[in-house]
Amino acid sequence: MSDIERLNSMLPNSLSVEESREKGILTLSVGPQHPGSGHFRLIIKVDGDIIVDAEPDPGYVHRGEEKMCEYRNFMQNIPHLERPVIADSCSILYPYCLAIEELLNIEAPRRAKFIRVIMSEINKMIFELYWLGIYGIFLGHSTMFMWPMADRELLIDLAELASGARVTHAYFVPGGVRNDLPDIFKDRAVRQLKYFRNRLNEYSKVFYENPLFIDRTKGVGILSREDAINLGVTGPVLRGSNVPYDIRKVEPYDVYDELNFDVKYMKDGDCFARAYVPYLEMYESVDLILQALEKMPDGPVRAKLPPNPKGKVGEVFKRVEAGRGELAYYVISDGTQKPYRVKLSVPSFRAIPAMRKLLIGARLADMPAIYWGLNYWPVEADR
Amino acid sequence: MSSIEGMFKALEAGSKHVLIKRFTLFYPEQKLKFVGDGYQFDPKEGVGIAGYRGRHILFHDKCTGCQLCSIMCEGIAEAISMVKIDKEYKQNKKGIMPQIDYGKCVFCGLCVDACPFYALFMTDDYELSAYTKEHLIYTPDQLSIKPNYKGEYVIDINEFGATHKKDIK
Repeated sequence: MSDIERLNSMLPNSLSVEESREKGILTLSVGPQHPGSGHFRLIIKVDGDIIVDAEPDPGYVHRGEEKMCEYRNFMQNIPHLERPVIADSCSILYPYCLAIEELLNIEAPRRAKFIRVIMSEINKMIFELYWLGIYGIFLGHSTMFMWPMADRELLIDLAELASGARVTHAYFVPGGVRNDLPDIFKDRAVRQLKYFRNRLNEYSKVFYENPLFIDRTKGVGILSREDAINLGVTGPVLRGSNVPYDIRKVEPYDVYDELNFDVKYMKDGDCFARAYVPYLEMYESVDLILQALEKMPDGPVRAKLPPNPKGKVGEVFKRVEAGRGELAYYVISDGTQKPYRVKLSVPSFRAIPAMRKLLIGARLADMPAIYWGLNYWPVEADR
Repeated sequence: MSSIEGMFKALEAGSKHVLIKRFTLFYPEQKLKFVGDGYQFDPKEGVGIAGYRGRHILFHDKCTGCQLCSIMCEGIAEAISMVKIDKEYKQNKKGIMPQIDYGKCVFCGLCVDACPFYALFMTDDYELSAYTKEHLIYTPDQLSIKPNYKGEYVIDINEFGATHKKDIK
């Protein structure tokens, strides 16, 4: 049995037009202009308010990122590769830099590795806060929309201090980072992150312990451990289903093996677990950054490279843990100044089979909770 | 935990913020302070100097018209084009300098990394809106003007929460 056949066998068959007419089933198109989902369409069929069939329809914002990579040299690829997820732009660039470093036979200086860890964790939190804000407004909780959006500013301020841009940082390069952190960075980061950690405790009171949120998410859209593994979901969705799997632990890159952190996971596999895992991870991220700031040595931050370097013939596969899950790059070089082929494996795209599985049988009112709980980012999935 | 208790907890956490100062920055009156004079690059060391990446500044007495910034931008935003200038400079035999279209520029700053003559840097001026697309195209003369961006506000954290305040230093 091939992989696709196995996947199809796990998912229920979709209904034909005649069948739905006979049973009095209504077809609804959610999107592609849905205010929360971005450019993504869900074709759902409802019987009463029970969803009997769901057909995710991605591809509205396909930009051909992979093909664009083949026409640009290693450096010119940086700005356009971070466009799919501008809220998490360092993480999406991270595996690319690791892969190109291996192709160019260079190693980033030790200080640069620490800076990359710090910036990647800051970006992960920026993404998770944005996600949390939208989750709040999806469930009709407008305080939880305002608070994360405001506290995001504390982290964006740090990212801006280091890289000089608020969202699309273009900060990681093959061979390290673009510039060293300014002198005031450490003080400000410690101050703002400690304050941010206190704010996280308040989130719990106002959102995660709120009966309104618990009623909307507890026991909704349960993804079992087996299904989560077989359907290939990654990141917080997988960890919400009782699988403590984190690339930072499984395959440590840069200096993650020198830092202490736990892989946070939940046992239930419902929407609440999927929403709670990123929250627990934000605590870990704050600790990771504070540790990295302590351990960070002095020294250069960027390895010297010729202006337009040539890669060695070969292929590399690198993956990192981004805000939404495992993000992997597969780069082939034919010895010229441009990559021969770049393939992105993005976590959002892998959430689509699980989305269909969870939506079928759920109530229409639970659709926002299930959809956004899967950490699906349409622009990244379409690439 | 009962739902009544949860509701009161949420109300208590939220109502505290009535007394706390707002985090909102009143933008045109208050502007954020950035570190340094904008992003710069030191070609000798091969690393950049931290700073905000806003509009560029071009030093006419250093630009040689080598087009490296324009070549770098070709694969990114195609925002830089080389144009003829009226004045003559000793180091610039061809008499060409970059002209930047801010309708296209993505502010990645890789053109600054490409410049080996310390001629192109970035500043912390981000207020570039214009009424027409043509006004977004900055000629070499416009690029040579130093912007007067005055950011004074920084994030202030005290026991009552976070807010913005004027930086005294």
